[in-house]
Parts: sequence; structure tokens; C-alpha cells
Amino acid sequence: MGTLRTLFARYWRNIHFISVFVLAVLLLLGQPFINSYVKEGVYALFYSPFAKLKLNINKLVNVSDNNRTLMESLVEASFQISLHEETVKENERLRSILGFEPPPGYTLIPAEVIAVSGHYLPTAVTINKGEGDSLRVNMPVINQQGLIGRVSDVTADYAEVQLLTDPTNRVAARVASSREMGIVKFIAGTGMILDNFPIQGTVTVSDTVISSGLGRVYPPGLFVGTVVRVEREELEPFCDIKLKPAANFYSIEELFILREVEQ
Amino acid sequence: MIRILPYLLYLWLLAMHEVFLKDLTSLWGVSINLVMLMILLTAIYKSEIHTLWFGFFGGLVTFVASGSAWGWHILVIILIAIIAYHLKERMNLESIRAKILLLLGGLLVHNLLVLFIAGQQDILWTIFKQVIPGAVYTTIIGWLYFLFKEGKLTKEKIKAIF
Repeated sequence: MGTLRTLFARYWRNIHFISVFVLAVLLLLGQPFINSYVKEGVYALFYSPFAKLKLNINKLVNVSDNNRTLMESLVEASFQISLHEETVKENERLRSILGFEPPPGYTLIPAEVIAVSGHYLPTAVTINKGEGDSLRVNMPVINQQGLIGRVSDVTADYAEVQLLTDPTNRVAARVASSREMGIVKFIAGTGMILDNFPIQGTVTVSDTVISSGLGRVYPPGLFVGTVVRVEREELEPFCDIKLKPAANFYSIEELFILREVEQ
Repeated sequence: MIRILPYLLYLWLLAMHEVFLKDLTSLWGVSINLVMLMILLTAIYKSEIHTLWFGFFGGLVTFVASGSAWGWHILVIILIAIIAYHLKERMNLESIRAKILLLLGGLLVHNLLVLFIAGQQDILWTIFKQVIPGAVYTTIIGWLYFLFKEGKLTKEKIKAIF
């Protein structure tokens, strides 16, 4: 035993050298049998934790990338959906317009609104039709709901329409049931009213007010609005009649210009 | 008796370098030869037996994925480590320059031999593109390590720069 220890102490350096070189040569020559076991051990002991960590990090990065892609798709899809909804609404509007007939003696020139002006309420709109489309000043403008206004200015390709909401615009009108007349105008803060309607005239709430044709701007029979309030003061010669406009001036998109058919 | 735990940690560092750090620390495709750097540092600062065994296990861990050339890589590393150790014994390593020279030489030789073991084509191109830049890059890391170890570069000095 003592001799063995002495020998080991004497040759310890050589023993280490020989061990290392034998192991290296074994790995060099002993493949694949030895190598596969050693490799498995090295991978399991040293590489496995980091490989798993890297895999998880890669997964996280992929999740982040996927998340971004999905978000982009979601935004695109919601944009497509809003476009689709817009198309559906347009389709509904156009369907309601389809069965729309002009008053006798007039033809319809369809137009689209391209700009709206007015401070608190739309008072004028610009349309995509002009002189080239036979538009002239004072032509009446309607949509499927009723009277909108009149053409107030025309250029070669565009025209401006003065809406009924413009306080300077007046429409000679009558109550459809009693045939009694007044003047429709718009007052800021009050809304649309039927002015100059005699106190003894017959009018009730929900009566329809139509254009009378007097004044030669608007043809007779165009739906202007519905009576929503009637007040009669004893000493006043006229009634206070408030109307609900036939057209919704906040959502005008397509409209029609009435062109008189030449005889 | 060799204390095993620090060397186990070094081996894990080598594995981590192979899995993660190699790509992160690469500059224009040139990566740090961490295994040779650590083995040469062991040869400079530790005993021959430390160098021998760490060389063996360092090669074992680092080149595990090199297929049939695994044994060759380990033998080359051991040989360079032992030669570096014996050169160190005969050199005056008081100056950082001598250590850097030893590092650079060892790294150049190792990178070259790895090139031959791998049977790389376009050897001349690879020497200029990978071998020399790799050795220089690793030597710079080694140089920073020497500066830190010998107290020539301290946290206070780095703070003072900024």
C-alpha cells in the first residue's frame, strides 16, 4: 500500500496526463458508441437548462410577433367591417331612393354631397354636379325624405345648395290637409317654423306641410315638414307653428336636383 | 485537491455562451473564442493539472456538437493549453503585454487548427475574415480581464471616465 502511494506520488502528473489523453483518444476512436452516451450526459448536464431557456424566450418572442400580427389583422378587419357597414347603409339608402319619383314635369339629376358648410347646423352643401350637368341657380333640391333647398351657386363641375336651414331661405308652403298657406323659414335657436299662417287657419299637430309652388322656385307638393307645435295668441294675427323638417340635414349624402322638363 | 465547483460554473458559462451569448456578443460574424480564452487564463493563473483537466472538460462541453471531430477538438485544446502553460513557466509574465502575446498566440493557433479540423473551404479568406479578427476580439476581452484582475481598471476609474 505504501509502495503504491509512493508510486502515485511520484508519477501523479503522468497519471493525470495519461488519463486525459486516454479519455480524449477514447472519444476520438470510440465513436459512436461511447460518444453518444457522453454527449447525452453533456447535453443533459450543461446544455439542457440553457436550451430550454432559449426555447422559452424564442416562444415568447414568437408570441409577441404573433400578437403584433394579430393586432394588425384585427385593425384591418375592423376597418373592413366598418367599410362593409358603410356599404350596407349606402345600399339601404340607394334602395329607398330607387323607387323615388320626381314631381310631374321634372326630371331628377342625382348628385353627391362633397362638402358641408355651416357653423352649428349645416346651412349649405357642395355637390359634385355643375353647369356641365345642366344645373342652374334656383333649381330645387330634394332627397327621398323631402325638400332640401335650392341651388344657390353653380360652377362648371360643382354647385352649392342653400339648405332650408339657412335663415335667408324661404319656402312658400301650405298645410296639405287645409290647403292654407304660409312661409316656411328657419330661425336659429327656434328651428323650422311656418310663418304668416293666419290665426283662424286650420292646422293641427302632425299635419303635413308641403311647398305651395308660389314664388316659382319650388314646384308644388314637395314635402317640407310636419307640424309639431301650434300656438295661437289672442291678439296676434298669425299662429306660431313649429315644424319638424322632412329631411335630416345632418345626414345628407345623396340628393337630387329637379330639372324642369322643357316643353 | 482541485475545487470542482468554480470549474463546473465555468463549464456552464461555456455552455451558456454556446447557446446564448455567442450570437449576442458576435460583431460582424466574429465571435469570442471563450473556451480557449478561459483555458489560457487557467494556464496563466493556475496549475498544470487544472489546465489539463479544464482543457479536457472545456473542449468536451464546447465542441459537443462537432460530430466526429469532437475528440480532435479536445486534443487540440489540451495541447495548446499545456504548451501555453509551459511557455508561461519560461516567460516573464509580470507585464500584461507578455500575457496578451501568449493569449493572442494561443487563440490564433487554436482558431487556425479549428479551421483545419472543420475542413473549411476558402482557408485564406476565412483566416482574414474569422481567424485573425476572432483572435484579436477575444484578446481584447482577455486584456480587459487582465486590467481588472491587476487593478489597473477599476469601477471607480470607469465611473470617472463617464
